[in-house]
Amino acid sequence: MTIIHNRPLDDIAETAPTIAGNAFTRAFSGGSLWRLIGMLVLILILGFLTIYPLAMLLYGSLHSTPPGMAGEFNLNGYRSIMTTQNLIVLANTVGISLAKTIPSLTIAVFLAWIVARTDTPFRGTLEVLITLPFFIPPILTAMAWGMLANPQVGVINMVWRWLTGGTDSLVNIYSYGGVIWHMCQYSIPFLFLFMVDAFRAMDPSLEESSRMCGASRWTTFRKITLLLMLPVLTSSFMLSFIKGIETFESALFFGLPAGIKVITTDIYESINHRATPDYQYATSLSFAIMGLMFLLVIWQWWMLRGKSFQTVTGKGFRPSVMELGPWRWVTFAFCVLFFFITVVLPIGQLMLGSFFRFFGFYTYDMLTLEHYRNVFANSEFWRAVRNTMVLGLLGATATMALGAVVAYISVRTRWRGRNLIDSMAWLPWMMPGMVLGVGFLWAFAMLPGPIPIYGTIWALLLAYIALGTPVSVRVMTGAYHQLSYDLEECSRVHGATWVQTMWRIMVALAWPAFAVGWVLTFFGIMRELSASILLYSVGSETLAVVLMKLWANGNAEQVSVIGLMMMLLVIVFRWVQLSFIKARISKL
Amino acid sequence: MASVTLENVSRMYGAITAVDNVNLKIKSGEFVTLLGPSGCGKTTTLRMVAGLEKNTGGRIAIGDNVVSDSDKGYFVPSERRRLGMVFQSYAIWPHMTVFDNVAYPLRIRRRPDTEVRDRVMNALRLVEMEQYAERPSPALSGGQQQRVAIARALVFEPEVLLLDEPLSNLDARLRTQMGDDFRALQQRLKITALYVTHDQAEAMALSDRVVVMHGGKILQVGAPEEIYRRPENRQVAAFFGTPNLLNATVKDCRPNGGQYYKLSVEGQGWSGDCHAATEMPKGADVTVMVRPENLHVRDAGQVNGDLSWSGEVSQAIFRGSHRSIMVKTPAQTLHVEASSLSNVDIGRPVTVAAPVEAAWAVRN
Repeated sequence: MTIIHNRPLDDIAETAPTIAGNAFTRAFSGGSLWRLIGMLVLILILGFLTIYPLAMLLYGSLHSTPPGMAGEFNLNGYRSIMTTQNLIVLANTVGISLAKTIPSLTIAVFLAWIVARTDTPFRGTLEVLITLPFFIPPILTAMAWGMLANPQVGVINMVWRWLTGGTDSLVNIYSYGGVIWHMCQYSIPFLFLFMVDAFRAMDPSLEESSRMCGASRWTTFRKITLLLMLPVLTSSFMLSFIKGIETFESALFFGLPAGIKVITTDIYESINHRATPDYQYATSLSFAIMGLMFLLVIWQWWMLRGKSFQTVTGKGFRPSVMELGPWRWVTFAFCVLFFFITVVLPIGQLMLGSFFRFFGFYTYDMLTLEHYRNVFANSEFWRAVRNTMVLGLLGATATMALGAVVAYISVRTRWRGRNLIDSMAWLPWMMPGMVLGVGFLWAFAMLPGPIPIYGTIWALLLAYIALGTPVSVRVMTGAYHQLSYDLEECSRVHGATWVQTMWRIMVALAWPAFAVGWVLTFFGIMRELSASILLYSVGSETLAVVLMKLWANGNAEQVSVIGLMMMLLVIVFRWVQLSFIKARISKL
Repeated sequence: MASVTLENVSRMYGAITAVDNVNLKIKSGEFVTLLGPSGCGKTTTLRMVAGLEKNTGGRIAIGDNVVSDSDKGYFVPSERRRLGMVFQSYAIWPHMTVFDNVAYPLRIRRRPDTEVRDRVMNALRLVEMEQYAERPSPALSGGQQQRVAIARALVFEPEVLLLDEPLSNLDARLRTQMGDDFRALQQRLKITALYVTHDQAEAMALSDRVVVMHGGKILQVGAPEEIYRRPENRQVAAFFGTPNLLNATVKDCRPNGGQYYKLSVEGQGWSGDCHAATEMPKGADVTVMVRPENLHVRDAGQVNGDLSWSGEVSQAIFRGSHRSIMVKTPAQTLHVEASSLSNVDIGRPVTVAAPVEAAWAVRN
């Protein structure tokens, strides 16, 4: 795909101000009123999706009662979160996130290096397999691991007892280790995806020249490769750390039963698991975690300022591939092992669980299809499937459309207000799903009567759009950056109007990125639990919520059935994405 | 085909003036090149004609129609200026075939399919690309993409053809060939063409007139030979190749019967005759420009030219097509391009001579 036309540097210098006076800036020069209206509408939409819930969060944290009830403004909420117990929660949150980030990063670097820079066999396939866990909703693996590593009836411990003949268990998932272990499974493929292209795109001549200067392979790796990768590693570390603080599922499944609390589960508990929900406490805590996230994001920005990620030169070259000899089968085995642990084991457990009458009793006479029958006869299940599909399709489309418009305005135009909408779209990046959920809870409750969003499927849709927008803007920004201005301008000069150019050139060229982003967003919605669990009500459950309810009722067998279905869906979608979209892109 | 007129055209970016009061009239069917170093405003000028930039001052007209008048706030957008343009990157849309790319300007204007077919194939035939019509465009080489870009720019028979460094992404051999082909095509179709380049050789080979720009201003407009041989000032003189520029004082000045004046000048350790465009008072300081290829190296003391310097050879470099010889004279080191056959020893005393037509004086 040769969409990027590299201009010589001197010419870029010459035409740099051109970007300022891009043809499209003037597209509406005759109709700047329409442009103004368009921008206003966009700002209103984004404001409703991001600023409004944030403001309601602040209101909730300062107001003594839930919306609609008489109350007073006070600081009780903030006072109530200043406890020693919450210091432990904070330490847990930060500690767990750090503890999962470091091993995840190490393994992800190793995997990225194997796939991008060694001659390990079947690297292409391995790459697909390694990244698959990223697309599996964490709730599924959490449930699967809850069954696999249950201290009493988990398969791993049963096998262990059978092997050793003892009665003690090998692993207990309900522990710090369990929480971290589960987070790692999600972090590693995420970090891998984030870094692998940097590894692949590194100019080999940088390393080769080090070797020519007399440095050994190991010295070269330490002094050149690793240092060149440092900016990518740093940003990966920060990203993973921030994501770790937002994580909800792992701590919910494995932390809470063991009494390990993190901030997200604490917010959840204060609303869902108390006799009377303590909303002021929850909103104050939400605001506090936003503050923490804000500091982290500032820190990340500060650490990465001025750092160049330019190991990519854009020239066509093959990355130098290290020949490992017989060791290549070891690296191959490592990748396969990773895939086995993160995908095959959980899927295997779900299958096992779905075919036996009771979870934990795996004997021949317990085999049954009863759970499948029950699930398929369950109207709540079908409703959840329908809800999830509708939300996924609508949500992904709306999110990407919004992202495409915001990215276009902030990248390709010089319209006034473009920085504002860009920042507004980015705001949810700092809000964990749980926090945004609480914010929307308030936001919908405060809406005037004739707009009954609260308790409907639309409540979830709006939350998903808000959560997905930062990613969709990112994806589309990247896509637009790759399209040279010439492609648009050329169309204008040859007689096409702005609208015609948008449709025939920009949409036509950016749609593969749109599709990739769409699938990512769709997966994101399918995976979403933390906001859904606060915003759903009877009739608007998603699959993740239904799973959660079944799990809470101890119905691990039906959980397995539904989990398997979702797994299947993920694999089909991923396959379609890889084979169809990739093929389209390479044709370009 | 239409003429193009620029009247006092300026473009400001904030406080920076990219194009400063440019006046230029391009006649119908003429090939005019904007030439200058990076940042001289040539691309901005072209883009203002294209309507991709708005001029902050002055007026632009294509044919008899004003397309942009900054005083009246009148501006015709690109798509209604009926232009063809070839971009430096070619801007071949990667999601279309060659045919679709070329057909784009016609389809945008909703021409019937049969007409589209005929005209696209005609345009492709002009650039000898008709057998590639159904190729996906990313599968083309640089030279082929360039031909497609030209076909696309010509297919609608535009008023004016604009070209923004179209040859700069090609390798040297292909560049010359494509340039020659394009010039032949332009003359056959009698297209008005405005061409931007920083390559002096390209500008001279292609254009009817060259516009030398620097710092947003036009330094000189003229036929290639005019500009090369008779620059108006030292900057233009220095822009083409590596001429010898010698400081001298006017001793005498008289009309030579033609357009020019004949000067007698004296420099440090040399004197002789040369030409100039304007009359100059005695004692005026001038710069005398002599191109390396017009200088000849002779044995010491042997003088048979109008201008001569004596010195010794300090360096001689074989360059294949010619030999660069540096001769150290009391005035300065002179650069001579001699035949590659003639070898000279370093350190040998020689005389460097030039005919009077080869020496051109400009005011300092």
